[in-house]
Amino acid sequence: TGGHTTEILRLLSCLSESYSPRHYIFADSDKMSEAKIRSFEQKRSETFSNSQFTLDRIPRSREVRQSWTSSVVTTLYSILYSLPLTYKLKPDLILCNGPGTCVPVCLSALLLGLLGMKRAIIVYVESICRVETLSLSGKILYYFSDYFIVQWPDLKEKYPKSVYLGRIV
Amino acid sequence: FRFKDSLAEDLRGADLVISHAGAGSCLEALEEGKPLIVVINEKLMNNHQLELAKRLHRDGHVLYCNCSTLVETLQSMDLSTLKPFPPGQPEKFALFLDKVVGFQ
Repeated sequence: TGGHTTEILRLLSCLSESYSPRHYIFADSDKMSEAKIRSFEQKRSETFSNSQFTLDRIPRSREVRQSWTSSVVTTLYSILYSLPLTYKLKPDLILCNGPGTCVPVCLSALLLGLLGMKRAIIVYVESICRVETLSLSGKILYYFSDYFIVQWPDLKEKYPKSVYLGRIV
Repeated sequence: FRFKDSLAEDLRGADLVISHAGAGSCLEALEEGKPLIVVINEKLMNNHQLELAKRLHRDGHVLYCNCSTLVETLQSMDLSTLKPFPPGQPEKFALFLDKVVGFQ
C-alpha cells in the first residue's frame, strides 16, 4: 500500500540489474501501487535494457485495526492464496517492508523451504516511520527473516539481531 | 484539490509547509527542503504515527504543535533553527544486499 510501495521502490532504486526478474506482490485492495510500480519500472527500462517484472495481487491479510480473531482467518486465507503463487515464482530473494501482505508470502516461502522445495532469503526492511516500535509484520518477521533491517538506532538497541544501516529510503 | 496525484509541484512553490504527522507528508516536505510545522491531533492518531514526528522534532528538523497552539506557533516561530534533513541512502542498502546475496 501507498507509503510501503514508495519506500520499497526507493530501496530498489540502487539495485543492479542482477536483481531480475522482479515479481511485485501487493494487496488486491490496493489501487495506487500498480501505477507507481509501472512508472518505476518504466524509468528503469530507460537505463537497463533487460528489465523484466511481473505484478501479482493477493487478498489483503488484514485491514488496519482489524480484530485479532478475524485477522487470523483473513491471514490464513491469504496464505492459502500466496502458497501456490510463491511456489510458482520460486523466488531466490524476498524483499518486504511491512504491509500485512508480506506475512503470508514470507510464511509460504518458509514452508517451501522446510519442505525442501525452494529456499529463499528473506530480507525485511522496517519502515522509516518506525522509530521506537516495530510494526506487527515486523514483530512477526523479526523471528522468521534472514535479515531484519531497521532505520533508527533505538530499534537496533531493542532488537539486537537487526541490522542498522542508517536511513536507506 | 482533494485527491491530486502528487503535491510535489505545490510543495516546491511553498515557503512553509503545515502538515499532519503522516510520514509521507513529512518526509516529502523535508526532502524538498521546506520548513515544516507538524500539527498533531492526538485524538485522531494512533501512537505509531507520532513516533516519526517526535523524532524529527527531537532532531531539530520540524516544528511541532497541536491544533489549538498552531496560531501561537506561527506567530513565534523561528524557522532558522530548523536543521536540514539529509536524504536517505539506498545505495547502502544495495551494497548490503549485494553482499548478502553474493553479488560482490
